[in-house]
Formats: sequence, C-alpha cells, structure tokens
Amino acid sequence: MTLLDFARGPAMQIAIIIFVVGIVWRLVGVWALPKKKDLSEPRQKGAWVGGLKGLFVHAWPYKPFVPKVGAQYIIGYIIHLGLFIVLIFGTPHMLFFADIVGFTWWTLPGGVITAVAVVTTLALFVALIRRLVNPVHRLISNFDDYATWFVTTAPFVTGLMTTMNMWPDYETGLAIHLLSVWLLLIYFPFGKLMHSFWFVVSRYTTGSRFARRGGMA
Amino acid sequence: MKEHDLTLGEELRRQGISRRSFLKFCAGVASSMAIPAAMVPAMAESLAQARRQPAIMMAYQECTGCLESLTRSFAPTVENLIFNFISLDFQHALQAASGDQAVDAIKTSMKENWGKYLLLVDGSIPLNDDGIYSVSHGQSHLDSLRELAEGAAAIVSIGTCASYGGIGAASPNPTGAVGVDQIITDKPILNVPGCPPMPEVMTGVYTSFLAFGALPEVDSLKRPKAFFGDTIHDRCYRRTFYDQGKFADSFDDEGARNGWCLYKLGCKGPITHNACATLKFNEGVSWPIQSGHGCIGCSEPNFWDKEGFYKPLSAGQWGSAEGIAAAAAAGVALGAASAVMSRRNQNKISGGK
Amino acid sequence: MSDTSVTEIELDYESKRLSVRKPEERFDVQGDMSDDERVEKAMVNFAKDFGRVAATYMEACIHCGACAHACPFYEASGDPRHTPIWKLEPFKQAYKREAGPLAFMYKTLNLKPKVTVDELKDWQELLYDTCTLCGRCTLICPMSIDIATLVGMARHGMFHAGLVPHELYTVTEKAQKEGSPLGATPSVFEDRIEWMGDEHEVEMNVNEDQADVLVLMSSIEIQKYPESMAATAKILNHMGKSWTFRTDGYEATNFGMLSGNTGWQKDMSMKVISTAEKIGAKVVILPECGHAYQAMRWQGANMYGKPLPFEVQHISEFLASAVESGDLKLKTVNKSVAFHDPCQVSRRGGATPAPRKVLEALGVELREAESGGNLNFCCGGGGGVITIHRADTLRYKIMANKFRQLDATGAEMMVTSCSNCRQNFDESGEKLNWGKDMNSLLELVAENLVEEGKR
Ligand code: HEM
Ligand code: HEM
Ligand code: SF4
Ligand code: SF4
Ligand code: SF4
Ligand code: SF4
Repeated sequence: MTLLDFARGPAMQIAIIIFVVGIVWRLVGVWALPKKKDLSEPRQKGAWVGGLKGLFVHAWPYKPFVPKVGAQYIIGYIIHLGLFIVLIFGTPHMLFFADIVGFTWWTLPGGVITAVAVVTTLALFVALIRRLVNPVHRLISNFDDYATWFVTTAPFVTGLMTTMNMWPDYETGLAIHLLSVWLLLIYFPFGKLMHSFWFVVSRYTTGSRFARRGGMA
Repeated sequence: MKEHDLTLGEELRRQGISRRSFLKFCAGVASSMAIPAAMVPAMAESLAQARRQPAIMMAYQECTGCLESLTRSFAPTVENLIFNFISLDFQHALQAASGDQAVDAIKTSMKENWGKYLLLVDGSIPLNDDGIYSVSHGQSHLDSLRELAEGAAAIVSIGTCASYGGIGAASPNPTGAVGVDQIITDKPILNVPGCPPMPEVMTGVYTSFLAFGALPEVDSLKRPKAFFGDTIHDRCYRRTFYDQGKFADSFDDEGARNGWCLYKLGCKGPITHNACATLKFNEGVSWPIQSGHGCIGCSEPNFWDKEGFYKPLSAGQWGSAEGIAAAAAAGVALGAASAVMSRRNQNKISGGK
Repeated sequence: MSDTSVTEIELDYESKRLSVRKPEERFDVQGDMSDDERVEKAMVNFAKDFGRVAATYMEACIHCGACAHACPFYEASGDPRHTPIWKLEPFKQAYKREAGPLAFMYKTLNLKPKVTVDELKDWQELLYDTCTLCGRCTLICPMSIDIATLVGMARHGMFHAGLVPHELYTVTEKAQKEGSPLGATPSVFEDRIEWMGDEHEVEMNVNEDQADVLVLMSSIEIQKYPESMAATAKILNHMGKSWTFRTDGYEATNFGMLSGNTGWQKDMSMKVISTAEKIGAKVVILPECGHAYQAMRWQGANMYGKPLPFEVQHISEFLASAVESGDLKLKTVNKSVAFHDPCQVSRRGGATPAPRKVLEALGVELREAESGGNLNFCCGGGGGVITIHRADTLRYKIMANKFRQLDATGAEMMVTSCSNCRQNFDESGEKLNWGKDMNSLLELVAENLVEEGKR
C-alpha cells in the first residue's frame, strides 16, 4: 500500500471516526451536565429569539470596540473565509464532499484558490506572530492554542506545496496534504477547534439568558 | 545461423536502412530518454557495434495485451528492427515451436547464454498454494521464474502485471499474484509498467541496454526515470483547463466536447507516471485522454483498487460508511459516560447536592 | 484572627467612601486550614458550579484576548493578568481536570495539573480586586462568554477556601452578624429614618404590619446618603402608596453574593423575602444600588427556590412606570445631564431604559457619553472592589478614564442611580480634583415633584 493509498483509505477512515466520536463525546458530555432552572421572573418572553439573535450580534464588535479589536477581527475573518472558500470552492475539495453528499457544485479556478490560500496562510502567520508578541495573547495562550494553529496551518501549507509541485513527487505531496488534514480532524475534538460548535452553544446561551433579562451581552 | 553473428550496424545496412535515418532514430531515443544530444554519435557508434542480445521472454499470468502493444508496429521502422534484433529465443505466442520442443529451446538458450541473457517477463506470478494457479508444461510459473532468473543478466518486467501484479493482484487477489521484483531480489530489475506498456519505452530500454550494456536509471518503483519521471497531469494537454477550473462533468456534456479537464470524471493523471501524454500510442496517433477518457492510472501499482476509475482523485476511499454511524453512537455513549462520571465526581467532591 | 476581632475593626466614617479603615496588617487568609484543606474546599465549591452553562462558557473560549480591551481594569493597568479570562484560570483548570467531558484524559495524563494553594492566593487579587462583575467583557467576546457570572462562581470556592481580601471578608461577616455590612444595624436604621423624617418634614412609615410596597435601603445610603430615605418617602407619600420600611428586612446589599458565600447570600435575601411575604407586599422597591438589583431581581428567586410572590423593582424602574402612567408629574429641569449607568442595573439588569424615561420626564437634555448606556464603562467600584484598599490605585485610574468620558459630554450635571457608584465618584472626585458631584436620580426626582394644584 502506498502512502497515498493509506492516506486516502484507512487514515481517512480512522481520522473521521475519531473526529465524529470526539465531537459527539464532547458535546454530549457538556450537554448532559446538570442545568439549574432560572426561577426569576423574565422581563420579557421569547428568550429563544434572543438566543438566535445572539448567534449573530457578536459577529462584529460593537462600535466602541472597533478601534481596539477591529484589525484582529479582520484577520480572523480572512482566516475563516479563506478556509471556507478553499474548502468549499476548491475543485478537489468540492469533489471530496460531493462524494459524501452526492451532488456537486460550482467551484473557483485553481489560480483563485491558490491566491486565497496564500492570503489565508499569511493571515494565519500574522495571527501566530500576534500570539507570540502581544503580552495578553502570550499570557493566555497554552499548548492548545499553538497546536490549533499548527493543525490549521499545515493543510494550507501542504496543499499549496502540492499545487505548486514543491514535493519530490506529487503523490507523496498529496498524501502528506491529506495526512495533515486528518491530523486536523483528529485534533479537532480535543482542542479549541471545537469553537466551531461551541460558538453556537455559547452565543445562544448568553443571547437567551440576556433576552429574558433585557440589558446587553 | 549466420544472421546471429551480425552486428546491429551490419544488420541495418543489410536491410538497406541509411545511416541518416539511424542517427535520427538514435537522436529520438536519446531525447526521449534525456540523454544529452552530444552523446548521440557515441551512442550510435556503440549501438552499431552491438551484437545480438540473447533474450528469453516468458509469459506468466497475463492477457497478451502487452505483447500486442509491443508488436503492433505496422511500418518497417527502425523500432521494429531493434525488436527483431533481439534474439528472442523463447516467446510462446510468437514462436512456431511448442510443447517439449519449445521447452528444449529455453533450456538450450539458458545453457548457451548463462549469465548473459535478458529475461523479459509479462504477467504476474501467483504465490498462493505454491503457485499452482498458473502452470506451463507442468511447472509452476513461480518455479519457472526462479530458475530462469538465476542465469539472467537482468530482468525486464513488461507491463503492470509483471511489475506490480496488475489485474491478477487486484482485490481480492485470489491467486496471491505479485510482480517479479517481489520474488527476485538479487538481479537488476527494470519495470516497464502500463496496461498496456508503451512500445516506445521498450525500444528506449532495449536501445540503451544495447548501447550502454546496462539498464537505464530508475525511480523508486524501478521504472526508467526517462519515461516515468513526469506525471500524466504534468504533461497533459488539457492541463490549462485544469488550472482554469474548466471541467467536463460528464462524458457527453459541453465540457467534454470542448476537451476540458477530466478530473471530475475520475482522471488519475495527477498521480500517474507514464509517457503516453507525450509519446502517445499507435505511433503518436492518440492516447486515452485525447480520446476523451480520464487516465485510469494503469502504470501505477494497485490502480485497479482505488474504488473505481470514475471516482475523483480527491474523494476518499471509504470501504464502508458504517464506521461513521458507529462512531456517532460511540460518541454519544462516551459523552454520556463522561457526563455521568463528572456528575458523580462532582457529587463526590462537593459532598452531594 | 478570631471572629470578634473582625467585627471590631472600625469603619472609616471620615472618608467619602464607606469601608473598614485601612488595615495596618492585612489578613487576606481566613480560618485555620491546611493548604490541602484550602485547595479541597475550593475544589468542592468550584465543582458545585460546573453545570451546563458554566461548562459551555469554559469550553468555548478561544483565547483571542479581545476581552482585555473591554475590561476597565485592563484598560487602566495594561497588565495582561487583568485580561478577564485569565482571572478564571484556576477555575477553568479545575473544570477541565474534574468535570469537563475530557476530564478523564486531562487527569490521567496530568495535562491540567491540580490547582495549588499558591495559585489560589495569587488569584485572589484577580478575582476580587480587579473585577467588578460589570459584564463589559461579554460584549466584546466573540463567543459571548459571560465572564462576570463565572467570576461570581469562582468566588464561591475562594470564600470557602478562606481566601477573601481582608476588607471584603470583614464587611461580609459584619453583614451576616449585624444585618449590615457598614454599621447600619436595625437601631441605627431606625434612628436615621427618624432623623431624616424630622429634617425633611416627611412622614416615614416604619414597621407597618401590612403594606403594598416594601422599601429597601442600602447601608451606603443609610450611612452616607440618608437623603435618599427622605426622597423615597416623599415620592411614595406623594403618590399615596401604601408602603413601609421594615427593620427586620431593609438591607438591600448582599455581601454574601459579592464575597462568594452562597449560604450567607441566601440568608441575606431570605430576610427581605420573608419580610415582604409577612406584610403581604406586592412590590419590593430596591434602592439605588446596583448589585442589590442583581441579587434580588435576578438571583432572589433562585435563592428562595421558587418564583418570588412579589414584583421586584429598582427605584428607577418604579419611577419610570410612575411617570409613564402619569402618577408622578415632574418639573422641568433646564440642564444638560450625563447619566452613568450602573452595570448591574443597566447592562446586566436590563433596566437601561428606565432612568432615561425619568430623565425625559424631567425635561433635561441627556448627553450620552461615548460608550454609554448598555456599553457603559464601569466605575470600577462594584463587586465589592470599593471596600478593598489594595485596589484603590487602580480604581482611581479607572475613574480618571470615567471622568474623561463624562467630561467630554460637556454636560452640566452628572447623574447616576447607584449609591455605590456615587460614593466612588465622590471619593475619587475628591482625590483627583474632579470638581463635580455625582447626583442621585432619585433625589433629583424628589426635588422636582409637581405638587397637586400648585404647578
Ligand atoms: C477534506 C479533505 C481534503 C482533500 C481530499 C484535499 C485534497 C486536495 C487536493 C487533491 C488538492 C489539489 C492539489 C493540486 O491542485 O494539485 C488540494 C489543494 C489544497 N488544499 Fe486540500 N484537501 C482536503 C482538505 C483541505 C483542508 C482542510 C485545507 C485547509 C485547511 C486544505 C487546503 C488546501 C490548499 C490550500 C490547497 C491548495 C489549493 C490551490 O492552491 O489550488 N485542504 N487539496
Ligand atoms: C464556523 C464556525 C466558526 C466560528 C464562528 C469561528 C470563530 C472564530 C473566532 C471568533 C475566532 C477568534 C478570532 C480572533 O482571534 O479574533 C476564531 C479563531 C480561530 N479559528 Fe475559528 N471559527 C469557526 C470555525 C473554525 C474552523 C472550522 C477552524 C479550523 C479548521 C477554525 C480555526 C480557527 C483558528 C486556527 C483560530 C485561531 C486563530 C488565532 O490563533 O488567533 N475556526 N474562530
Ligand atoms: S485530464 Fe487528467 S491529466 Fe489531464 S489535466 Fe485533467 S486531471 Fe490532469
Ligand atoms: S492515460 Fe493513464 S491509464 Fe491510460 S494508458 Fe496512459 S497511463 Fe495508462
Ligand atoms: S466583568 Fe467587568 S471588571 Fe470583570 S473582567 Fe469583565 S470587564 Fe473586567
Ligand atoms: S474574549 Fe471571550 S473568547 Fe476571547 S479570550 Fe476573552 S473570554 Fe475567551
């Protein structure tokens, strides 16, 4: 079995199984913790509407905060949109998902994807440098933050290297790219990449708690 | 057998082939094998001096497609001559002799040319049950190969079956078929995979063997680098469409008619090393991708077993998807268990309530 | 340090800020416990709070550091340790090790080590001196994490581990023993009511057996701003309400909540709740005190264990509904006003529109400060911080920012509706030569009532 076959087959299967087990495990593990009912008289009804609104209100900082964290948010958006575009509109990626969901969709030319990937990778490096240099980030960062950065950045770098034929040979490159993705999936449930799920739970929780109170969160 | 003693140069002259066309041929081979142009005269010189190379060609578990490909030359070309110049002392499909006579021919040739002959193999070799699944003249091919390999100067595995097991080794591989280099480890071995292999590759290999007396430089899969260095994708004339993101979505859509890239239709060009994208088949007439079908990766090990020729390269190989459902169930179980554990732990450390 | 010595520590009546005197020797560790016992106590009480909500928040943090820039303490100090989420580090560590879904892994592989007593001691300053539970950090957090709630929870473990800052512990114990953290015992309360009644010639209702409205006061008001008692009485009399003060349930502040003793928090709330039940009150009016609103309006029922049998209103809400219904008519005040929103009433309480309605009825020109209203910058004195002398320097720095923002409005008059904010403004104003007073919304209303027929 070649490295590529390993990457496309067993490695992928194992990674996806760990990915699914881990995510469900962590979500259920928190969901099943006890929750106390809030007995206070709500100011208004429809806490769930507030919860749904809560999913979006923090998508961009409130005005007084923009000068402080606007740039950080922009970097964040570049990273996430770049990730989204490369993953959803890159032809090879689309075909991976199409194989699972059973339908295909429109994709972007390779050159555009490459450009987006380069910008995203640069943004990831900016985020890393900020994390290493800014005293607040330095203090609050732990192993997880750097590991998360690494497993997110690795597929970008290996993917670009594959496209640009920078490996001794293409199959190995592709295999390494895939393995780097499986590493991402395996790490996903155990670190802060879970924020892609928690953000829904957490924002909804705060949104609905404060909707029944009024005020702002 | 007077003919056997002629040098290649003498043979060419006898056939009335001019020196100019011979040099042209040498230049062609040299360029296809990335031999510097300055070396062409020397190469021609040593080639002209070459004597007939004794060779034995064995067909094991195979379909004769390789031989078809190698002999499908219609014009009396120099290539043809080169083939003919090889003294094929045994090839069961081509020779007139059969039965004991044929076997004797092998024995004779082996004895006469011990340590010097080239062993050409096509077809895979079954290993299961002592190789009983493929037997000629009462001898299993496994034994035959071992015997013949012993006295060979070098071995050339022709086609993907001889190189890596090919279709015989495709899952579930009932006969336990393997390629030559899985059995013979103490001889120089050259693989010329392809299903079928390209005749030009064979020519190039023979030519360089005749000219330099050694097998050409090979890659990690023992393929001559000169022909297998690039991928189909690297050399594919549809590559610009790949880069532009223009793909055929089916075999009869607009994209297919426009000759767009076949990646979505499962083309394995990006991971396939072969020379057909540049040399083409049938003397440069066409090749599979030109005729509208994606590369199936025929020169790569296990190309049969990548979950179908039409599955895009980037799609995963799932085996079965039941694992995922089981994983989700396991996740629920683990999650619930960990919550129970942490509730219990919580109660324990907070002393209840 | 024995129990008696705690309560004997004198209050500092001279300062504009009411707390215990600056201790000559600090006792920031309470009780005689071994280090291991302290850690264990902390864990036990941390663990009680590891429910679904807290767990969600602790799982969700992505360490983006944004919260630093919303916190008045970080903004004033620039010290990375004052990053809101960092204040929760031991709490989070304990959660990950003991209660999270991956706790098993963290524990067996020791990826998250056990919290140590030294860590807890180090974090005392972060959990008490540098967080007012103002909730501003939640506004900036991309994950909407309610850090203030978590800090409140973490304080539970700290209290039981005996790791509360000296002054805060002292006033809390005073409150539990004497009924008031700041010396406003029932007899002091009664005296002061009488004094104010005489001084302002208002009729005071004390210890009525039955009343529709139970009025609470905070110790700060009783001791430093007693006019609020007169003002409240004047307004309620004017409206012809059936109301009363009760000496068995008057203290609105809840230092049990602020310091982290849930048992005491419950005792303090229950005093008020049972008094209100006893007299058949339909409404309990909370005074101009921010955390009192949080304690009774939003946590009261949860202490009681069932929904409260009465309505809870902050005085500004009461006034707002009175002016809206037309029960209260006010004279026009021709001034420009900047309003400082008390965090616990506005952002975290939800009563933000109430004071604005009242100010509108007063006809003032309201000039909102930059980042005002729900986005308000905390005064830096809430959450018990104002009692702690150690926190003074930073508190003044925060106030300097606050003054700048309020001054920038160019308003003639500064108004708030929390007496704790008010004493912080007054004390820091003196210290920093602000030259302005912070006024009470309640008193402003009381001064501008339209007497029937006079107009
Ligand atoms: C889901 C599994 C994935 C598969 C099967 C896959 C496969 C591929 C393939 C086949 C290529 C094409 C290389 C080429 O153009 O020659 C590629 C490129 C790339 N991949 Fe992935 N990939 C996967 C996931 C990801 C993820 C998660 C990321 C990023 C985090 C990523 C980032 C990239 C990038 C940046 C490129 C270069 C694209 C370009 O410049 O055209 N891939 N990937
Ligand atoms: C779809 C839901 C998601 C949301 C709402 C989300 C949101 C966020 C936010 C708000 C941040 C903080 C940005 C900042 O520093 O200001 C962040 C950081 C990050 N996210 Fe996501 N994210 C999502 C999905 C993902 C996924 C799927 C990945 C990777 C596979 C990812 C990778 C990262 C990384 C690596 C960082 C950290 C950057 C750093 O170190 O500063 N995110 N995310
Ligand atoms: S047809 Fe195949 S080999 Fe040619 S460019 Fe497309 S993917 Fe590559
Ligand atoms: S296109 Fe691919 S499958 Fe077809 S002959 Fe060439 S290498 Fe083999
Ligand atoms: S609640 Fe307020 S004081 Fe506390 S950390 Fe958050 S912003 Fe800072
Ligand atoms: S802003 Fe929210 S997510 Fe970011 S570090 Fe602070 S608490 Fe964590």
